[in-house]
Amino acid sequence: MSLAVLAVLFPLLAAIPLALTGSAVRASYVNLALTGVTFLLTIGTIFSPGHGLIHADNLGLIFGVISGFVAFTTAINNISFIQSEQGRKSIRRWRLYHAMCQVMLGTTLLGLYADNIGLLWVAVEGATIAATLGVSLSRTASALEAAWKYFILGGVGIALALFGVMLTYLAAQPILGPGLAAMSFSALSNNAAQLDGSLMTLAFVFLLFGFGTKAAIVPLHGWLPDAYAEGPIPLTATLSGPMLNVALIALLRFRHLMEVNVSTGGHAMQPGPFLLILGIASLFLTGFSLWRRRDARRFFGFSSIEHSGIAIFAFGIGGPAIIFGGLLHMILHTLLKSALFQALTKAAIARGGASPGNYAFSHLRGMIATDKYVGWALVLCIFALTGLPPSGLFTSEYLIISQTILRAPLYALPFGAGLLLCAIAIIRQIGPAGFAPPPLGCKPHKAGRDILTIYAHLAVTLVLAFAMPFGLVSVLSNIAGALQ
Amino acid sequence: MSALTYPLAHLLGGLVLICAFALLSQRRLAAMITLYQFEAVTLTAAAFWQGFAQHELALFLTGFITLIIKAIILPIGLRYIVKNFNITRAVETAMPVGLSMILGVGLIGIAVYVVLPITMSAVTLTREDLAISLSVVLLGLLVMTTRRNALSQVIGFLSTENGLVLAAIGMPGMPFVAELSVALLVLMAFLVMGVFLFRIREHFENLDIAGIESIEKQGR
Repeated sequence: MSLAVLAVLFPLLAAIPLALTGSAVRASYVNLALTGVTFLLTIGTIFSPGHGLIHADNLGLIFGVISGFVAFTTAINNISFIQSEQGRKSIRRWRLYHAMCQVMLGTTLLGLYADNIGLLWVAVEGATIAATLGVSLSRTASALEAAWKYFILGGVGIALALFGVMLTYLAAQPILGPGLAAMSFSALSNNAAQLDGSLMTLAFVFLLFGFGTKAAIVPLHGWLPDAYAEGPIPLTATLSGPMLNVALIALLRFRHLMEVNVSTGGHAMQPGPFLLILGIASLFLTGFSLWRRRDARRFFGFSSIEHSGIAIFAFGIGGPAIIFGGLLHMILHTLLKSALFQALTKAAIARGGASPGNYAFSHLRGMIATDKYVGWALVLCIFALTGLPPSGLFTSEYLIISQTILRAPLYALPFGAGLLLCAIAIIRQIGPAGFAPPPLGCKPHKAGRDILTIYAHLAVTLVLAFAMPFGLVSVLSNIAGALQ
Repeated sequence: MSALTYPLAHLLGGLVLICAFALLSQRRLAAMITLYQFEAVTLTAAAFWQGFAQHELALFLTGFITLIIKAIILPIGLRYIVKNFNITRAVETAMPVGLSMILGVGLIGIAVYVVLPITMSAVTLTREDLAISLSVVLLGLLVMTTRRNALSQVIGFLSTENGLVLAAIGMPGMPFVAELSVALLVLMAFLVMGVFLFRIREHFENLDIAGIESIEKQGR
């Protein structure tokens, strides 16, 4: 058995002991140990990427390690989250919660490593179910509303994606014959030129709506802010970040099939314009929505929609350099957003509790005065999300916008305006959250010393953005060149 | 035997489509469940027939799973919910039934118009099967959008899943991975939904999910 298969199976099986552990605090330590093993397995997968159904290519490997890292630091932070929250829910809920954390990680890795569009679809479906259970965990009226919304929107999206998967199979089946080959990404992309172009176009529309729902691009984003705001934060916000990547990578791969088909004279439609318009729509919708949010988790949920939009926009323009930029942007955003949600958890704990209702900006005001380590971590993370230098995101956004000016100058203006709008809306929050006086009558609580993981995330993004190891640069540019 | 393959496959596909269409016109939950059950039974027959025609054992298994889960277990569960929550009365629709039926006819037209011209190269059986199943999928989604009641939205969703399975069994030589997962995941989805319905009942006192808009009004 290759390590890739093991990396997928281990977290899915690890859900079972966690669903049986008797105490929430003990479960959080077990969860940390198990997630640590999975993280090591994702690194080991580089040397044993597997073959057949679960066969990790370089793109999957890189994002697999990133997901493993995020899951690992989240598991560290989860311990103090549980210590602060355990009294608020029954042990049965916490068992479900920990099991779902592992299922979420397992399905994310399956989605990244699967070399089969059917298996990819199963992974996305599994993650949706795990996330819905997570969102509904607190059983308040608003959590149930959010979960129901997620389930209906996600379910419809998944149904459409499956139809797209079947149409892709139908388009490939005359060339690759009936059987597994016609569903394998590597076989599809080797034979993309001969696929039935018009069927692929129809398939792509369904896939775009299906996986686009999971990637939360406008107008399919409705579930995301509610889901981020209502569930237990480590599961529904921090661990959900890598899942957005699975959907985005799936879209990137299908876009590549279309693009090859068009450029070799097939009958497929240009996928670029669809993606471009959805990307710009996402940027503008978030640009305007960010101004009116009062809840921090909802606010940063909208910011995730913005970043999905940026990646989709980059894929829409096409070309090796901009795809490189888009992939780098996805990596950096995943790291930064998970760091930010970890900082928010810490901030909420420092103010007394990390339940969903405790994340209003007015409640988290003046964190530096309360706890300077947490406060600075929060300020740095929020600043990094704006994409202004020296944030890592500046590199990827710069790459994307300079390539846009080169390849499609008309789109550069709305794209740049959207970026600016979002950056201003985010930067407005830094002052009040960090430096304002704390709200009257709040007593600081101990937030724990595991704040280091947040700074580790920030350091990794800086290294990746400004001093990426040469080996990684060449691997990532090969991927971008192959998928352009 | 081959003389019978096409007409019978089309007949069964058409029956599934009629059931999906009839769901649109039905206002009563009990009748919707019966229609769904009939749809699932027809789908089972279609899967068996395709398995017989394509000599594919996997399709018989799909049919068997469909029969057990969708035609027997799910309707029992749905009826249980209706009975326990006492919601047998006529349900509210967000749109007049006549209008939604006109929309349904339009959707079937779109499905046929989109699928038939672009699948000229595919086998005839697959072409028409695909058009029918896309219609069923779209009609299921229409049911979900025209109903306010959570349970009838669930039934619309289940009908959509039936359309997907209908498309999958018509694909020549499609690996079984997909079909098995659909069948299994419908069950899981239903379990999740069952939990929700139960809780929604507790919190909203009825199965009307109009309360969802309240989140948006608070401007969070």
